[in-house]
Amino acid sequence: MLNRRVVLTVVPLVVAGMALSACGSSKKSSSGGSSSSGGSTAAGGNKPTFKIAYQGPLSGGNAQLGLNMKFAVELAINEANAAGDLPFKLEYTESDDQGDGKVSPTAARKLIDDKSVIGVVGPAFSGATKAAEPLFADAKLATVSPSATSPTLADGGWASFFRVVADDNAQGPADADYAVKKLGAKNIYVIDDASAYGQPLSKAFGDQAKTDGAQVTSESAPGTTQCQAGQGNAQQYPALATKIKGSGADTVFYAGYYCDFALLAKALKAAGFSGNLFSDDGSLDPKYIEQAGADVAEGTYISCACADISTNSAAQDFITKFKALAKFDSGTYSPEAFDAANTIISVLKKIGPSATREQVIEGLKTVDYKGITKEVKFESNGNIAGTSVYIYQVKGGKITSLGLANT
Amino acid sequence: MCLTHNFWGFFVPGLANGFLYALIALGYTLVYGVLQLINFAHSEVFMSGGFAGLFTLNWLIGKHHPAGMSSVGYVVIGCVAGAVGGGVVAYLLERVAYRPLRRRHAPKLAFLISAIGASYFLLNLAGKEFGRDSRPIAQPFTQTQTDPLFKIFGTGVSLYYAVIAVVAIIMLVMLDRLVNKTRLGQGIRAVAQDADTAGLMGVDINRVIAQTFIVGGLLGGAAGFLYGLGPANVSYTMGFTPGLKAFTAAVLGGIGNIRGAMLGGLLLGIIENLSVACISPSWVDVVSFFILVLVLLVRPTGILGERLGRSA
Repeated sequence: MLNRRVVLTVVPLVVAGMALSACGSSKKSSSGGSSSSGGSTAAGGNKPTFKIAYQGPLSGGNAQLGLNMKFAVELAINEANAAGDLPFKLEYTESDDQGDGKVSPTAARKLIDDKSVIGVVGPAFSGATKAAEPLFADAKLATVSPSATSPTLADGGWASFFRVVADDNAQGPADADYAVKKLGAKNIYVIDDASAYGQPLSKAFGDQAKTDGAQVTSESAPGTTQCQAGQGNAQQYPALATKIKGSGADTVFYAGYYCDFALLAKALKAAGFSGNLFSDDGSLDPKYIEQAGADVAEGTYISCACADISTNSAAQDFITKFKALAKFDSGTYSPEAFDAANTIISVLKKIGPSATREQVIEGLKTVDYKGITKEVKFESNGNIAGTSVYIYQVKGGKITSLGLANT
Repeated sequence: MCLTHNFWGFFVPGLANGFLYALIALGYTLVYGVLQLINFAHSEVFMSGGFAGLFTLNWLIGKHHPAGMSSVGYVVIGCVAGAVGGGVVAYLLERVAYRPLRRRHAPKLAFLISAIGASYFLLNLAGKEFGRDSRPIAQPFTQTQTDPLFKIFGTGVSLYYAVIAVVAIIMLVMLDRLVNKTRLGQGIRAVAQDADTAGLMGVDINRVIAQTFIVGGLLGGAAGFLYGLGPANVSYTMGFTPGLKAFTAAVLGGIGNIRGAMLGGLLLGIIENLSVACISPSWVDVVSFFILVLVLLVRPTGILGERLGRSA
């Protein structure tokens, strides 16, 4: 905690420094009136600078998911600048919320106070989004999340909220159908990490699995302090594994993130559980295999509203360039973050150099952008139009796509 | 009902957790004995032991494949590495965060703040240097050794639990003998009873205190390795919850009381696992702290009572 506090006291100083250098565009966004003098600013060599920010976990146990997105956003901005046809200059900035709802309002405040920030990719996690989105809505700063999948977020009434992934209302039932109908699960043990992300997902999964005729036991195991800012203790898992083994369950569904899922998977294996393991997009990361051990992770099913882009020809260029920039392979939600950033950029292009924060929100409402994962169009509540859930499986120590859940 | 159904299946992992809590709790209780202070940086001593074991075993096992007797060797090496890592960090902690304050006769609150500061420093240093992800320790056991070793009332006991029990019992017995039978133990007890008088009688107080920290660090570091070897993995924040729980265990058994720390640790570990069995993992802390409050209401100094400077 203390380290965060220290960071937070330093942040205002940094922001103050940024504000000095960016006062030109700050006037623009605070004036607020939609301008008709669009053409004039573009004429001179003096292009305005807009910042597109990324907010998500860049430290803490789930940092890898955050880094997957960070570099994708940076890449989108670099490419847009390099194309040379922009009537403005784009800059990248970031704010680390550690994926934690307690930290994210402060992280959001940092971006809101920087008046040159015109749009935000993120927040990455649902809990963090829930806590920060009221601030973004007040500041009329658009956020496009590549990965916040909690269904309740769309009910918040926040005009600033958009996301390029399907919510868990799509993922949970699709997973349940897959587990019961495709994998033949009869007795399913559903565990969530007691987070804003895990709990609705486990409920959506459990309800559908019951409808499909499977026996469902649900339980909350709080995420551990060593994985995320949870309250749980890693030593709960061996006992929980014994309980699951004793219940005679043939399938375990975990609604949470890879770090805790890996610990649970290890404990299940140690307890002699041999049924199917199934988890959600929070676990779709090669680190899961690394942390659980390849033999434990083998065969695990993982679902995601995110597409597998390795077979998508339009995305090959992204994959190579991402690796060159990030020095590691693109991972879960990298392509979605790339699409989210490009969606904001396409809106900005349309508005031109006089763009304000409000105009970006209005622009996003009607945007139709063809991204590398899907066609980005938003419903009125900020949800992505059209849904599709994909199933993956760990095979030979690698996560491989099995295609759409409902095929 | 939850207790009659597969009671031993929950009791055995609970006992293993309890042994780990006991090893960590002793670090709190020993330091409390000589300084009447809670060493809040002890959870980072535990974490250091985890990392020392992780690096040693991953380096060794990277080259060789464990088999048969070499597994025993790896476990012993891991425990020693963890203990040494914990001991070194605990000693440095005493030198840097405690001794300068003691020399200046600082008030007790200053020690507390100094320990919390050291704790955050170590935590973030480890996060920065070793990465923020949780990392598994290379398994010293072969595939067949993960199968149950023997059965108690129908419940298979895995080699991992057996290793924890054996290592912990050896260390607990050695500690008991150390405190009760050796010259260092006499020194620890003398300082705990009355530091000033012990000093007048020729006991080198600083030396005894430093050695007390090292002994606590050895136990905590070995526990860190054993903890990381299991399903929990090693990470820079791994010390927080077990540290808090072990501190609770020390209070439950009677702070400053060595056998109390052992008893408190074992009880807490078992209670936690049974509350997972009977209720849910999200109620574990509620149950264990409820029991702690109940015990403290009846016996404010813990089950075996606060006990400084007497052979247990």
